[in-house]
Formats: sequence, structure tokens, C-alpha cells
Amino acid sequence: MASVTLNEITKRWGDFTAVDQVSLEVRDQEFMVLLGPSGCGKTTTMRMVAGLEEPSEGEIFIGEKMVNDELPKDRDVAMVFQNYGLYPHMSVYENIRYPLKVRKVDKSLHAEQVRIAAEKVQLGHLLKRRPRELSGGQRQRVALARAIVRTPTVFLMDEPLSNLDAKLRVNMRAELKHLQHELKITTIYVTHDQIEAMTLADRVAVMNEGVISQLDTPERIYNDPANLFVAGVIGSPPMKLIPGKMREGTFEHGEFSIKLTRGDHEQCVLGIRPEDMEITRPGDGIFSAKVYSFELTGESTLITVILGDERIIVRGPKDYRVEIDEQIGILLNPENCFLFDSETRQRIRI
Amino acid sequence: MIFSRRFTQQLLDLLQFLIILVAAIVILVPIYWIVSGAFKQQVDIFQLKLLFTPTLENFKIIFQDPYHLEEKLLNSTLIAFFTVIIAIPLATMAAYSFSRFRLKGERIMFVTILATQFVPAVVIVLPFFILFRDLGILDTRLALVLVNLSLIMPFAIWMIKGFMDSIPIETEEAAMVDGSSRIQVIINVVVPMALPGVITAAIFCFILAWNEFLFAVIITTNKAVTLPVGLSMFHAEEGVLWHLISAAGIMIMMPMFVLATLIQKHFVQGMTMGAVR
Repeated sequence: MASVTLNEITKRWGDFTAVDQVSLEVRDQEFMVLLGPSGCGKTTTMRMVAGLEEPSEGEIFIGEKMVNDELPKDRDVAMVFQNYGLYPHMSVYENIRYPLKVRKVDKSLHAEQVRIAAEKVQLGHLLKRRPRELSGGQRQRVALARAIVRTPTVFLMDEPLSNLDAKLRVNMRAELKHLQHELKITTIYVTHDQIEAMTLADRVAVMNEGVISQLDTPERIYNDPANLFVAGVIGSPPMKLIPGKMREGTFEHGEFSIKLTRGDHEQCVLGIRPEDMEITRPGDGIFSAKVYSFELTGESTLITVILGDERIIVRGPKDYRVEIDEQIGILLNPENCFLFDSETRQRIRI
Repeated sequence: MIFSRRFTQQLLDLLQFLIILVAAIVILVPIYWIVSGAFKQQVDIFQLKLLFTPTLENFKIIFQDPYHLEEKLLNSTLIAFFTVIIAIPLATMAAYSFSRFRLKGERIMFVTILATQFVPAVVIVLPFFILFRDLGILDTRLALVLVNLSLIMPFAIWMIKGFMDSIPIETEEAAMVDGSSRIQVIINVVVPMALPGVITAAIFCFILAWNEFLFAVIITTNKAVTLPVGLSMFHAEEGVLWHLISAAGIMIMMPMFVLATLIQKHFVQGMTMGAVR
């Protein structure tokens, strides 16, 4: 068990900087999720921890030990890859056993350790199969079993669920969470899926353009985004961002205004989550708008309305019904509104 | 008159059949001629009759004085075997480097290696001859192994690299994180996964080395003569001894035929795997 510390690490390829002076401490036994869109540097950061990329600058510590010059095999990490990275010419048993074999673990222990790892991911009955005879979910389990078979210091997971179908993903998510809880191994998990980040993480590092935009617990990332980028990334559907200006504490948009706080701000952005807007009768809310589309998701409804040039998605109760082109009122609670500076893109605390 | 669709289809099928038939005849008739010739007596050799009294006499003669085909057979076998045994591991390592490492001047190196394949063999025969004469290894198996290596390596590297390119890098990285050194990665993961390609390359190389004629005919005179060169000794006062050439021809073809049959599965897999990722 150990913490992982990144000390101002940078990765450059020629003129391109993939990771820019990132510092991050992953605590012992913590589940850290690196979240961000493709190309934000999250996978590169993880690959540097694994030793698959060399940092251009900075230091990486696993526990107390600096590992910059250590080969991947000497870092005592286990990694689960997006495309599983299984050995197609070996059986499931051989795949899971491989780390024990190359690390020269006593041969008499192999069978037992493989059995325990396989059972943890419910693979016990498939040990004789080849990877190509397994479904995507089963293959991912093999990759997991291979990672846990030798109890590494750190788990690294690179979008492990992104190749699975939606239903399987939900199941595997719960299993991963349970497994990490049970094994208590420090885990770094890379994903672009904000639901995975929210559900799995102890803390989330939201990355953008090679830097960490915000590092915090999922709750705080959701409830207290530090900037426009984080606000736009977390939430499904994401937070609606409406440009406007502040005059004497009132946010003014061409179509509506809402009293928020004191002060003036020439160019700012109002952020509001779909679930924080309330549907009222036309004329009763902060503004009225025409319904553009209406969707049932089962546990709620999503109503898209048109306000000037903006399309705004509002989450309604599951039994709410409305017709397209109907007028409805939308009520905003100032407490749920976020304000951002358009230029610095940082949060303006209300 | 407009043909019915059914009639047109039948016509096309017939055409297709005829084309295949012609192709088959072109390919198979010479082989038939050789095979039947090997079992004919010299008097029957130019007779086109299908019925003749078969004899095994020719196969006996070619292994006797003055021909001693078994010596050539041994030479060919040893030369082809050692060429492949040396070429394939070296080519595998070179192919891995080209496939996985970004080297300085890599493109130029790779293109140069390929370019050697476009030099007509006859252009480099003389330099090789002089080189081997100065080294004192003319008419030795070693000389032919060296020549074959120079001919075969570029081809083998190029071919095996194609297979290695199609191995997902994640698999290798997984092996490294799992605890393998680079060499263990190559032995435990890359080579087994590229095996169909490596085997295909090995077979092609064996065939090329086995059939090589031009260099063998110039570099060898007596001791290291190979089978293809050996064919040219079947002359006598009465002309070319086609019945003996046919019998010797079968001795050249047989190992290739057996080899190809044994590893046909790998062969086909190898051919397609390299082409389609």
C-alpha cells in the first residue's frame, strides 16, 4: 500500500505539451479518478506513473521512492487497459498467472492465487478458455484478475469500461467499486465518463489541456465547480451556460434577468443545472419559453426550451407531460446559480 | 435478341470455368510432364502417350555414380536450413525494432533494406564472387549461406515487421507492467503472437534458399553444389537426359510440397494476417 505523488511533471513531444507541470498526491488507499476529454493529458499522466512514458520534467513517487528511472516491471503497479491487453495465445488461467510467472513467485502458489483472483471477478468457470472465446465483459474481468492476482501497490485503470455496453458498464462499475473497497489498494482511474468519475472516486482530478482544472471530491466538483470547464464537464445533461452581464447584482440576458448578488460585471456566464430549474405556468417563472422537445428518461423527463438563441434543457418530474411548441415558465433559484467570468473562465463567488 | 438473365449467368459461369481450366492446364501440364517423365524410360520421354510402363530406374541412377544427387540434396538441405535458422531470429529482432522503436534514420534504413531487393541479382554476383574468392570460401556451403542471408533477410524483416505492426501495443505494455523485461516481452508475447507471420516468413525463406540458382551456379563448382545446379549435370553424348532431370526435379519439389502441406494452415493464416489488420 502506498501513496502516489506527482511533483510538477511535464510531458512534451516536440512542441506539443501533453501534460504541463501537474502536481497531484494520491493518498494511500484512495480511489483517484482523472477525468477529462480526449487529449487532456489524463492517460499520459497515468502512463507516466506506470513507467510506459518518461516524464520530460518532474518527479514521480510511489510511496517514499522516486520511480522516474524505474522500469514498469519494477514499479509494482498493475494496469488495466482500455482494450484489455490480454495475451490471445494464452488461456484465461495462463493470462492471470502471467504476472506470477514473470515475477518468479513460488510455483506451488500459482494455482491457488489464480483461483482466488478469478473468483473475485467471477471467472472461476472460464479458466480454460482463450480470450477470443470470451465476451467483452469477461475479457475485462480477465484483465482485472490479472491485475489483482499479485496484490500490487497501485492499480492503474485506463478507461477500463469504455468498450463495454451500457448495461454491463453499470454492473462492472459497482464491481470495481466493491473490489477496491475490499482490496484497499491505491487506485488511479482514467475516464472521460463523468458518471464513472462521480460514482467511483474518492477524489476527482478534472483535467483540461494538460493541467488539473480542479481537484476535489465528486460532491464538491458537482456542487462547487471552480471554473467554466469543470462546470461544463460534470453533469448529464451538463450545466447550461448562458452568457450575459451583471448590473448592480442582477444578471441580465437579452430575454430575462435575475437578481443574484451585489456588484457589476461586464462579461460573465450564468450556469444552472437542468435539475435546478423548476417548471411553472407561463408568466410565473423568471422567463417563459417555447418547448422545443420533450423526452422521457424513465426516472425523470427532459424538456428542451428555446429562449432567444439558446436551447435550455430542464429536468422535470417523471410524471410531467407537455406538448412541443407549448409555452412554459421556468423558475431559477438564485442559490443554485453559478456565475463565471467569461474572460478568466473562473468562478465568481456569489 | 436480348438474352435472359439466367442464360447470361450460365454463359458467365461457363466463361469462368474455361478461364480456370486454362489456368490449371498452364500450371499443371509442366508438373505432369515432369512427374510422368520421372517414371518413363529414356525412349518414351518425348512420346505423348498416356500409357507407358513406369519404372523407378531413374531414381536409382541419379543417386549413383557419376551423379550422386544425395550430395546435392544434403548441400541444399543444410544451406537452406542454416540460412533460415540464422535469418529468422535476426529478422525477428530487426523487425521488432523497426516496428516498435522510433530510431534515427529509421525510414531511410528501412527503405534501403527494401531497395536491396530491387537490385538485379546478376549485378551483385561478381562482387560476391570476388569477395568469396579473396576470403577463400568459394565452393563452400558457408558462402551460399551468406549469399542467401543477404538475399533473404530484407524480405524476412519486411514481412515479419508487417505482422508485428498488427500486434496491439497494449498487449506488450500489459506484459511490461505485469513484470516482464523487454526480452521477456518479445519471447513470451510478441513472438507467439507473430508466430503465423514468422512461420510464413521462414517457409518463404526456405523456399527461396532451396530454389536459389544463379549464385549457386557461379559460386559453387564441385563440393557445395545444390540441387538446382545439380540439374544441369544431366547431359550425355546423346543430349539432355530429361528422364533423369525429371526424377531429380521431383526430388527438388517433394520437400517443398510436404512442407507446404504440413503448415498450410499457418501459411494461409499468415498470408491473410499480414494483409488485413
